[in-house]
Amino acid sequence: MFSERLQVLLSPVQRRRLEREAKRRGMSVGALIREAIDARVHTVPAAGRREAVDAIRAFSAGRFVPPEELEQIVGAERETQVGLARARARR
Amino acid sequence: MTFLVDTNVIVYAAVPSRYRAACLEILDAVASGRADGRLSTAILEEIWHLERTGRLGDIDGLAEQSYRLFTPLLAVNDEIVARALQLEVPRIGANDRIHVATALLNGIDTIVSADAGLDDARSLRRVDPLDPAERGRLIRG
Repeated sequence: MFSERLQVLLSPVQRRRLEREAKRRGMSVGALIREAIDARVHTVPAAGRREAVDAIRAFSAGRFVPPEELEQIVGAERETQVGLARARARR
Repeated sequence: MTFLVDTNVIVYAAVPSRYRAACLEILDAVASGRADGRLSTAILEEIWHLERTGRLGDIDGLAEQSYRLFTPLLAVNDEIVARALQLEVPRIGANDRIHVATALLNGIDTIVSADAGLDDARSLRRVDPLDPAERGRLIRG
């Protein structure tokens, strides 16, 4: 439910860009602005983001793998997941 | 300057390597708002896959912490897939094509990545996390 009204000043160029993009996507300018807010504004406060980095810094039991090998591992894991899904579907 | 953060930057921030300090510096800057690094749903999925395989040791929780740091993620939608399919970069795989298209359609022209293979994507500038001058350009203050 939308209950908050916000008045924002835009340049004519910004307004034209918004209207053009909204038309291209078949949506209202308001919906486009709401979508942009959801896509851009942090939902985790700064303290939570710093805690996340501290948690990553605290990892101590991982091992280095070169970039090209990382991609291979991701590909193999995806294939494994697909295989498991197929096996479940057959049951 | 907004930039895309590749999977390896997140992983290398969490495991012992020569990349670790540089990658953590980037993540610290993102957390404090001094750098505008973005992650996509596709990159988060890769991190999650890597975590679940166990082949990088114990990095349990890395996907969740990455999400906390980078949400809202850039979405991968129909338009991005269509653009990825049209990219003319023969030596780049499907995953990286999706990343390149995600960046381009979000107006992002830079990716931080240790993967030199991305240099083939001419439309996207790769910044190696170990390059202090380039890294400094991404971080304000």
